[in-house]
Amino acid sequence: MISPAFASILASGRAQFNGRAAEARRRFPSLDMAAFGAFLHDGVDPLVVAVAAAAPERAGGVTLAAYDMALELVGHGLAGPAAKNPLLNSVWRELAPSFAPLLATAPVEVLGMLSNAAIHMASVAGARPAQWQRELAALAAQIATVAQLRAVGQVLAWRAGVAHFRLGALAAADTLPPALALAAFGEPAAHWPQVHAQLLANPWRGNAEGREFGSFSGLGGAFGTPPQVRATNDGFVVRSAERHYLLVADACGAVLHSATAQEFEQAPNGQPSSVRVDGASLHIGARSIVLDVPPGDIAIAANAHTVAITSPWTHAIRLLPLA
Amino acid sequence: MSAFNLFQRLSQAPTKPKAAPAARQFDVADLYQGPIALGAEGEEQARPFDEKLRQAYFWIVNHAIISPHYDIEYNDGPSQTYSVGDSRRTLNLPSAQSYSSFILLPLLTFATRRKCLFVGGPGRGKTASALLMGVLAGSTVKEVKRAMQHGHPQMTVADLLGNPLPADLVNAQSMDEIRIAWRAWLGMRVKIVDEYNRIPTRTQSALLTVMGDNYAEVLNHIYECPEAAWYLTANDDQGGGTYQVIEALRDRVDVTVQALAFNPRFLNELLLRVEENVRPEELVPPEIIFTEGEVDQIGVSIRQVGIPDAVRRRLEFFASQFELFETAGGQFEYMTKDTARLAGADRGAAQAADNGRDRLKDLGCQTLNGISVRTLMALLIYAKAMAYFRGNGEVELEDLRQVLPFVLHNKLQPDPDAPFFALPENAAYRSDRLGWLRRLFDLSNDEFNRLDLDRDDPVGVLSAEFDLGLDGVSERETLARLNRIEKLIGERTKGRKLYGPLYDDLLKLKYLHQRYTNYRSWLRSQ
Repeated sequence: MISPAFASILASGRAQFNGRAAEARRRFPSLDMAAFGAFLHDGVDPLVVAVAAAAPERAGGVTLAAYDMALELVGHGLAGPAAKNPLLNSVWRELAPSFAPLLATAPVEVLGMLSNAAIHMASVAGARPAQWQRELAALAAQIATVAQLRAVGQVLAWRAGVAHFRLGALAAADTLPPALALAAFGEPAAHWPQVHAQLLANPWRGNAEGREFGSFSGLGGAFGTPPQVRATNDGFVVRSAERHYLLVADACGAVLHSATAQEFEQAPNGQPSSVRVDGASLHIGARSIVLDVPPGDIAIAANAHTVAITSPWTHAIRLLPLA
Repeated sequence: MSAFNLFQRLSQAPTKPKAAPAARQFDVADLYQGPIALGAEGEEQARPFDEKLRQAYFWIVNHAIISPHYDIEYNDGPSQTYSVGDSRRTLNLPSAQSYSSFILLPLLTFATRRKCLFVGGPGRGKTASALLMGVLAGSTVKEVKRAMQHGHPQMTVADLLGNPLPADLVNAQSMDEIRIAWRAWLGMRVKIVDEYNRIPTRTQSALLTVMGDNYAEVLNHIYECPEAAWYLTANDDQGGGTYQVIEALRDRVDVTVQALAFNPRFLNELLLRVEENVRPEELVPPEIIFTEGEVDQIGVSIRQVGIPDAVRRRLEFFASQFELFETAGGQFEYMTKDTARLAGADRGAAQAADNGRDRLKDLGCQTLNGISVRTLMALLIYAKAMAYFRGNGEVELEDLRQVLPFVLHNKLQPDPDAPFFALPENAAYRSDRLGWLRRLFDLSNDEFNRLDLDRDDPVGVLSAEFDLGLDGVSERETLARLNRIEKLIGERTKGRKLYGPLYDDLLKLKYLHQRYTNYRSWLRSQ
């Protein structure tokens, strides 16, 4: 059963809502009306209830916007019980209602941003969308404007593993009130200009261990054969099984993008003098790290911040901060 | 206003994606890019005009004119082909983005402001397509419809161009005092003449002036028309209209497009229009409306598209095939089909006197005429426009191959008595003129390859040498070049039959010889 508030709005504009659904069915011939009905119940109803409580006079407008958007999302197969990724459903059901005051003023922007971001986060392999949703919900009470929601969402997306957003997210964080920016980074007691400078200078700030990325594609990983790696300014160009990728990694996560054979060929193949491998040990300046791969044929590549270690005995790439 | 726009949607994805550049720019705003359009962020970034042109094409082809005939085929690697039916005709599944000529050629006409003729039976979308082009230029459907000229048997020059004001006719003391009420269509940036083959011959002549010289004249008054794209329609281009179209008017048409039959498999699209009570031409998205300045800019960009020498040479070789008619002239320069045509000579008798060339191999035997300068220029501009539309800075041979049949459609007249058409496998080309022209170009390219002209072109070498200029060339060098020309002519003419390309090569060598001879005379006079 849907809430009385939602039921009343649907009943008052029944003909209009039915007309929109009929129109959407023409546009999306595979639109499953049962799935749409379920999404109205699970996804739309909670946020209508939340808006009706926060700003009853805006509930109708929000419902209209949410209804149209729901038709489009279910029509695309992105929402509803049959959706390939459940994130969008949970964002509508659990996250969107916490932005009820913002929804009341700008329903299309807020719902559109949250929906698009959820779809994007779900599509980035290696990202942690649940973390993004959880942290955004935790900050909802402090977010007062659509612009702040936009910036906080971007910062949290980076922190949830979308590594290639690093510079953009830092720029977005600079537009936020310092307290909100610090809250987004989970360091409420720190000094924002200092945190910002450190984050900008060191992509591995807060993560001295580095990370491991990739595994055998036959077991759901990214690489068909043990990868070869070359360093670039943006990250690392990777070749595996005649396919090429760009690996962008930092303290928050690692993301694989497509690349070309030409990019791999053009990437420098040298090794930095400060980094060397001795048996199964890696020496970075005065530091020594024992690697968990068999000695021999270990290859390394490094850019200004990161060293990548590969071996013919593993499909994974070990990424370590240079600093 | 409904949230869903069944007809006005434009794809947000680039219509012709290119490989990502090596330098990467990751944009954090991508987080909010998705299926939901955000109004506040909606300020549209300036798109390149070629992309806008492609957006217009895809909107028309997907939402407005139902033309699922992808007859302009491009391949990127191997394509799948099937032999179908008793005739074993080839159904090709192109491996690269391909297009429907019925939409693309009119759009290229719009971008280049040339003249396009639609031919085909009634009710196949000829007028609708022309109407859409008018809307793309920024006019309302009502304006375009009102400005459209409908050919009819009683159409006078005044109907077409405008009337003198009646009061002036009575009171004026001189012609200058008679004011003319010009027809509104003369000022349109897209001019449409529906069923132009129903216009009386005298009125056709007035239309010719507007089409050819871009001005209208009534009682010594001149109306200068703006640069415009022209669209003409005809149910039948072979003389089946109310009046025969005068040849000069037909020659002004740059490209001819055939409206193909409606595929009933797309009836659901028509049903949707009936149910929604919409006309696509009234719902053209504002994003694909072109301003006058944009079309100007597109025209400039198209002209800047390069044509590599290798492609140009193929066109030169192709065009060389058709003008030679050896028995038509006693003097070398006059051995052309045009000489025979001007004299009204009996073509059959002249052909009978031919001296045993391979009439199957000689492509010139397949046509009654040659290719005019205007046609060659139209070919070049449409090839450039095609390359521009595909997002390329240079014309590829395939661009030329694809536009060539549409440009030559009513220019190169086939000779139905040619031995080529008597072969059973070529019988279909008697009626399929576009297919025949494409085949003609392919045969020309095969011959070009056989002669290895890409690598071995002595006339081209001499021509390039001459193009460097004569400044500082000594008399001794001049004589050496003259000798090389004479030697080459001797080699090329020894015991060989005369074919079109050889004829043009010899005329070019004669030209070079004459230039060097004049230069040598000048040197000696110093």
